[in-house]
Order: sequence, then structure tokens, then C-alpha cells
Amino acid sequence: MPLRKKYMTFSMGMVMIMTFSCKTVKPYQRVFLNDDAMQTGKRATEKLSSAVHNYREGASGGGSGNTSGGCGCN
Amino acid sequence: MKKKYIVFGAMAISSFYGFAQQPANYTKKKISKSTIQIVYSQYLQNGDHSAVTGGKGTEKLQVYSPGIIIKQQADSFNLYSVEAGIDVISSASKDNIDFVVSSASKVSNRGYLHIGYDRKLKRNNNITIGGAGYFSIESDYLSLGGKLSASYISADKSQEFSAELQGYFDDLRWGRLNGERPLKLVYPVELRNREWFTEYRRQSFNLNLSYQQTINERMIIAFFPGISYQYGLLSTPYHRAYFKDSTERVENVPDKRLKIPLGLQLNSFIGDRYILRLYYRFYKDDFGITAHTFNTEFAVKMRPNLTLTPFIRLYTQEAASFFKPYRQHDPQQQFYSSDYDLSKFNSYELGMEGRLAGIGKGEKNIYTNNMSLRYSFYHRSDGVHAHMITLLLELVAHRIKTGKQ
Repeated sequence: MPLRKKYMTFSMGMVMIMTFSCKTVKPYQRVFLNDDAMQTGKRATEKLSSAVHNYREGASGGGSGNTSGGCGCN
Repeated sequence: MKKKYIVFGAMAISSFYGFAQQPANYTKKKISKSTIQIVYSQYLQNGDHSAVTGGKGTEKLQVYSPGIIIKQQADSFNLYSVEAGIDVISSASKDNIDFVVSSASKVSNRGYLHIGYDRKLKRNNNITIGGAGYFSIESDYLSLGGKLSASYISADKSQEFSAELQGYFDDLRWGRLNGERPLKLVYPVELRNREWFTEYRRQSFNLNLSYQQTINERMIIAFFPGISYQYGLLSTPYHRAYFKDSTERVENVPDKRLKIPLGLQLNSFIGDRYILRLYYRFYKDDFGITAHTFNTEFAVKMRPNLTLTPFIRLYTQEAASFFKPYRQHDPQQQFYSSDYDLSKFNSYELGMEGRLAGIGKGEKNIYTNNMSLRYSFYHRSDGVHAHMITLLLELVAHRIKTGKQ
């Protein structure tokens, strides 16, 4: 399957999951969702790991921190 | 009966009037919150494929990195943030730019400062807009940058969208921290007979989007599409490349790069004590790199305020089209690099994080909110390996401002 078609299929699949399989959560039901470990994105302790991944690997971005601003050329 | 109605009516009116009245000494309270995060990180790396020596040679590197992040939530609407720090870098590979052991290039410092402001809109406080400025400096690098961001959270908090546009404007000339003038690109010592590049600037623009959806009381999913574009001097001027005919040149990579990452995160709370965090990223760019990242974290709440999180990250990438190992480049190639960061490899990172939260919170206005220690071991299939340690101390201070209404 060409990459563009794969990307489109994946994106459509994601949108369908999000649209059809979610339920409304009331404020008093958010005790688990509000836990620190349930938050998406990077924590302050992951900053070093993110920088190392950006510098030591070709890939960057996609919710994984800054993608420039320092050479990482060591 | 009529009298009963009158008495009841009078009581109802008086009680309603009583509730509607504000007490004479009513004061409006405004709570501001300051968060101070003190972070110390240490990175110890070794390997044997340095790009400075053309894909062969030591990659020994140590980075000691203290930093501080201050966030000031002035009220319900305004958030100010400042982040500053220093990286002290000792690099054996950079020491080989001039082959003089322990020369000035061996030890380098990087300083950085980020200043940000976010504001919730008063007419629609589900929308937050923000901006930030970045500055970082190293002996061979000056970077200025900025960010504009906007986010929207639905009224029931089940959906959140955010968009962020970043721009970085970098100058790769050497000498700012060493006091050397004029500023110039530094090439390997034996290749300084000519100017290899006329460009010394590098621009990067990143558009990062995110969409977060609550699936149920215990599950949340987030989707991170993005696009990045870089142009200018993307080569590192002191990276060597060796050719099959035994000649040597400075690394030369294309002067434009388009990157497309797509991340996906799924967090689930299992039972009352376990949290599973899954992350996958697909990445592709026009250097020819395609990469996949899988990250799994399994947080265990040992006690309500103590969480231990073992994690594993797996990564695989294809090589950039112009990458070749030491002395494998064809002299006819337009672009060439022996930087193993652009080679085909697999890597894993294995580690553990411990977090102690809400220590001494109680009734105090100032307390330690979080102490975390994170250790991980990183290994790349070409032999690079590293130890990473991060220690975080987070202090929170509340201040109540009162004033008569």
C-alpha cells in the first residue's frame, strides 16, 4: 500500500475511533483522568531524554519536544 | 390557615433577602500560584563512530545540565513562565576538530533562556493563547526563536485542540563564548585552506498540532501531527567525510529539509494503582529517513504520593540517502555525510522514574510538590550507549491577595 494511502487510512481510523467510541465524562468522574500520570505530553524529567532523542536520532517532533535550537553536534 | 401562609411567606422572603445580601465585610480573594522546578541532569555517552573524524573515532561525551523553570499563575487568566539553564559539555569528539588533545573545543558551555506568557480569554475562557521567546548560545552556535500558540478545551473538558508555531533562527559561526573575532565557521584543521560554505545561518519552522480526546473515565487518547521545515546550513562544518579515493572533505548535506512526524498517545488507568502510557510515532523526511518509535510506561502507585514508573522505548530508522560509513563515499556524490545519527539503526532506552508528590502540602503556603528521580540507559545498534540521570525538585507557593469589593 502506498505510504500516502496508509497515512490517510490511519488518520481516518483515528478520527472514527475518537468520534464513535467516546462517552461524556462528568466532572465528578474525572478523578482518574486528572491524575498527573494520565496527562499527555512530556514531563520536566523527560527533557534530557527528549533532547538526546532529537540529537542522536534522525527523527523529531510528533509530541516529543523542540525540534531545533541547539546544534547537538557533539 | 391564612396566618400560616403569611408567616411562611414572610420567612421565605426574609431568608431569600438574607442570602442575597453580601456581608458587610465581604472580601474578594485572588489566589496566585508560583511553581519553581529545579532540574539537574547528567548525560554520559560513549561510542566509536564520531562524525567529527568521519565516522570513525571516539564519541565520548559528558553533559552536566542544571536548570530552573519558574511559572507564575498570576490569577485565573494569566500565566508567566521563565526557563533558564546551562549545559556544561565535555566532548572528546569535538576535541578532534584540530587534533590537539584537550584543546579549547573539548569543553563547551551552552546557556539558554525561554520566556513565555499564556492568557485565557476572558470572553471565552476555554481558549488560551500564548507566546514565547527563546535564546540559546554555545561556542559554535547562537539560536534565537519564538513561538505562538493557541488551545481550545471543550466545556465538558472531553476534547482539547492545540496549535503551536515555532521559528528558530540560528547562526553557526564559532567564537562568541571564546571571545574570538571575527566570528567564522570552523572547519577541521587540515581543511581550512578554503571556505566550504557561504551560508552560516539555519532557519527552522515547526507547526505542532495536538488533539486530545477523553474516551471514558479511565482512558485518554492524543494525536500529534506536525510538520517541520529547515533551510540554510544544515551541514555541521567540522564534520569530516572520507572518500573511496582517500580524499577528504567537509560534510555536505542538502540545504533544505522537510520533516513529517505523526504521534499517537493512549493513557489508561487500570484498577486503582496502575497507569499504562503507550506512545507511537511515525516519522518521514526528505533526507530519506523513515522512523518508528514505540514507548511504553507502566506507572505503579506504591502509595498515594509515591509512583514508580518503569519504561521502555524502542526506535528504528532507515538511513539518509547520502549517509555512508568511513571511506565509503563515492567522489561523484553531491551530498555526503558519515554522521551515524543519520545512519540505519535500532535503539532502545530502558529506565525507571520515581516520583514523590505533595510532600508537606497540608495547610502550608509553600511546600515541596514533587521530587522525582529518573534514570535510563540508552543503546544504539551501532554501539553508542549512554546513561541519563535527572533529578527534579518542584516547589509550589500560594499567595492570597485580598481586597474589599
